[in-house]
Amino acid sequence: MVGSNRVVLGTGIVHVTGDAKLPPEDEKELRRKLVQKALDALQSSAKS
Amino acid sequence: MKVIHYLNQFFGGIGAEEQAGVGLEFRDGAVGPAKLMEQLLGDGAQVVMTIVCGDNYAVEHQEEVTAAVLLKIKDTGADLFAAGPCFDAGRYGMVAGALCAAVQDQLKIPAITAMSGENPGVDLYREGLYIVDSGTNAGKTRDVLVKMAAIGRKLVGKDPIGLPAGEGYLPRGLLRDQLVEKRASTRMVDMLLSKMRGEKFESEMSPISFAPVPMPAAVKDISKAKVMVITDGGLVPKGNPDKIQGTAATNFGAYSVAGRDDLKGEDYEVSHGGYDTRFVQEDPDRLVPLDALREMEKSGVIGKLHDEFLSTCGRSNPLSNTRRLGREMAAKVKQEGVDCVILTST
Repeated sequence: MVGSNRVVLGTGIVHVTGDAKLPPEDEKELRRKLVQKALDALQSSAKS
Repeated sequence: MKVIHYLNQFFGGIGAEEQAGVGLEFRDGAVGPAKLMEQLLGDGAQVVMTIVCGDNYAVEHQEEVTAAVLLKIKDTGADLFAAGPCFDAGRYGMVAGALCAAVQDQLKIPAITAMSGENPGVDLYREGLYIVDSGTNAGKTRDVLVKMAAIGRKLVGKDPIGLPAGEGYLPRGLLRDQLVEKRASTRMVDMLLSKMRGEKFESEMSPISFAPVPMPAAVKDISKAKVMVITDGGLVPKGNPDKIQGTAATNFGAYSVAGRDDLKGEDYEVSHGGYDTRFVQEDPDRLVPLDALREMEKSGVIGKLHDEFLSTCGRSNPLSNTRRLGREMAAKVKQEGVDCVILTST
């Protein structure tokens, strides 16, 4: 649901957990951050 | 008119929850609510057989029970199959719906059942069946059976069935042509004026309703948790072994990532007709972030990365279908002791 803290915004429809425009190492760093955000969301109480 | 009626163990008179494990029984004639159904159908209608089964048994052996019921009634010359009313009993509703759908589709015998709107059987079968809105009060059994009998008679006589509100069944989501006097613009303005005056009006568009889903509790300690990835972006191993369709998929696959630190494009393909899949094809970690999660597993940020990810294609899929896929995925996740899921969606 829009605005829910259990939804993390990905980089785009075509590469949710990546970004084809970035050099590989930067892209991986972005992915680590996105996954960490998702893990943080899983550890927070859901607000609907 | 020959009728066959399905009941669970409670309405079949065997017993309550403690008897939910009881197996399938075929009884001659009408039992319990089927007796009243027979009376209400009138005109010499006869319930020739009542089928009774425990709710747990029926859900746990659904395929077997369905096959046995089809075989048993195939040559009976039955004109109508009735099940329930099930009220808000979820297992009962799911089995009643499955049996009605199978009898109707495979034996071409019309079927009628009844459930409350929240019964999980409704979501699964409303599009294909007439399901009378029973509400949740079993004290209303007679009223519900009156509606079931009325629709049942029409189904057998191939008479036209009216709109859901008039006949008392749950909307099936079907669109039907109808001739009206006023054109759309006039009807819209009329509705708007009624709304402004605070009068009642009936919208011609009914919004899809979503039953509230309780939010799962927060994960207490992610460093001890088993994490899994599920995606609706259509990532599948090369060759698409489960034949997951790229639109309106009806199934999902479970694919092993055991021993892998990184997903390689050469091992996978993307079955999804709704987005430009080249970037995921080039590097599947862009959809299933395995490399990052594997690092976090090794460094102890998460307890364990589950050995499989689940995948389906989330494109142009009817709700009835995606709800079923969701339920099946959730059952698998639970069974495999996964603590939390990251769902990536394109």
